[in-house]
Amino acid sequence: MAATRRLQKELNDIRQSGLKSFRDIQVDESNILTWQGLIVPDNSPYNKGAFRIEINFPAEYPFKPPKISFKTKIYHPNIDEKGQVCLPIISAENWKPATKTDQVIQALVALVNDPEPEHPLRAELAEEFLKDRKKFTKNAEEFTKKHSEKRPSD
Amino acid sequence: MSSTEPSQNKTWELSLYELHRTSQEVITDATEIAVSPRSLHSELMCPICLDMLKKTMTTKECLHRFCNDCIITALRSGNKECPTCRKKLVSKRSLRPDPNFDLLISKIYPSRDEYEAHQERVLAKLSMSHSQASLVNSITEGIKLQSQNRPQRSRKNQEENTNTPNANGIAETPTQNGGGTVPAPKDGTSSTGNPTPSVQSTSNPASVRSTPSPVPSNLSSVSKNTSTTKRAKSILTSERSEESESSDGRTEGENSMDTEGEGEPLNPNEIELVFKPHPTEMTGDNHLMRALRDSSVRYLKTTANASVDHLSKYLAMRLTLDLDAELPEAYRLLNFCIYVAPAPGQFVPLAGSQTLRQINDKFWKVNKPLEMYYSWKKT
Repeated sequence: MAATRRLQKELNDIRQSGLKSFRDIQVDESNILTWQGLIVPDNSPYNKGAFRIEINFPAEYPFKPPKISFKTKIYHPNIDEKGQVCLPIISAENWKPATKTDQVIQALVALVNDPEPEHPLRAELAEEFLKDRKKFTKNAEEFTKKHSEKRPSD
Repeated sequence: MSSTEPSQNKTWELSLYELHRTSQEVITDATEIAVSPRSLHSELMCPICLDMLKKTMTTKECLHRFCNDCIITALRSGNKECPTCRKKLVSKRSLRPDPNFDLLISKIYPSRDEYEAHQERVLAKLSMSHSQASLVNSITEGIKLQSQNRPQRSRKNQEENTNTPNANGIAETPTQNGGGTVPAPKDGTSSTGNPTPSVQSTSNPASVRSTPSPVPSNLSSVSKNTSTTKRAKSILTSERSEESESSDGRTEGENSMDTEGEGEPLNPNEIELVFKPHPTEMTGDNHLMRALRDSSVRYLKTTANASVDHLSKYLAMRLTLDLDAELPEAYRLLNFCIYVAPAPGQFVPLAGSQTLRQINDKFWKVNKPLEMYYSWKKT
């Protein structure tokens, strides 16, 4: 109940703020605990596409952190093939109830734009990222072209 | 640079602000300072529920404020730390009530109940307006999903039995029965329950209309290939028949277009479309729009070789039927102009002979229901 009310406020705030990098937020009216939206990165090699994510809030929100998963495949050292992402701000050890969803989204967008090979989920991509950036960029661009969603026009 | 607490060996790094700040003069005269509620909001808000603080509690060490209920729930939920900065909070005793802050809030918002009621209304209004937009969205999505997931039923064939000339219909029936289907009883609602009241009277005898109900429902699953070729053929047949009997031809459109929500896999010969009133030409004061009210947006699925003329006739027929009681005689048998919107705000009027497939290929391309707009033409 408390989660619902807070999420309603957060959702309205985010929609009103008109984030450029997180768009097309879809929330089922009957279940505000699940959000979907489109991550629109600015940095190469991900700036040729958009990536759908799902945010799942637990019933204990905000006392427990939300979970984020990618619905669109992405070639990224910090996001694995299943779409799981390692984001410190929503890890159980780091979570603070005062953290708001827009901060989480901003952290996620920042991670997508600038991978952190020091804490990889896919070690082979992290290695490629560090040792052969050219190849990584080329692979990631091709992958983006093949799998990502269309970017919103405006 | 740092002040050291005497008892424990803790240090406190001062921020630049803390280093340079000086005490402020107390305002004793009548000077007023205007502060926008927006800038105050973050100060007066509980970071847990995001509402205005209620029975404020302040953490003794880090001085962060929360509603009493919120911070108690937070401590009970297991994390014994400050929800804002994660400093250790051993128990309720790490907090103190902050009545001064409550007083301050009640001074700024003397009618707090009113303020909250207002907030409530704004929230409700916002989610309402959004849910309307998303409703349209989810209906379109739903139609798409349904057509992908629904079991392959042979409504199409049934329809064609009813619509195509008798010879064709008779020729097909034995093939279907010979296909080895178990004649499962069908509820019959999908076809007979369709709101097509006056259709029978136009061309098809009532007896032909009623044939679908006893026919088994899972026909096309038997032999998909033969049924698709047959389907294509009979579409052409009915297409021709429509041309020849232009006044009665609408029955075909009536049936094939109204299959929304019925059992039918989406095949390449079919197109889904959303039909909306033209936003500028069909405004709220338009007589027709007033009569239509909520039913002005239509979802259709039809054959890809249906033309704009077909659509226009269908629309005229459909709306006349729907508005039977409300529409004055003069407004009957309306003519419609049909548009496609390849980009928001851009409306391209369509020629009557264009087929839906041509329109879809030329203007739409994306894999979602074609969006079209209609406006009413005075004749």
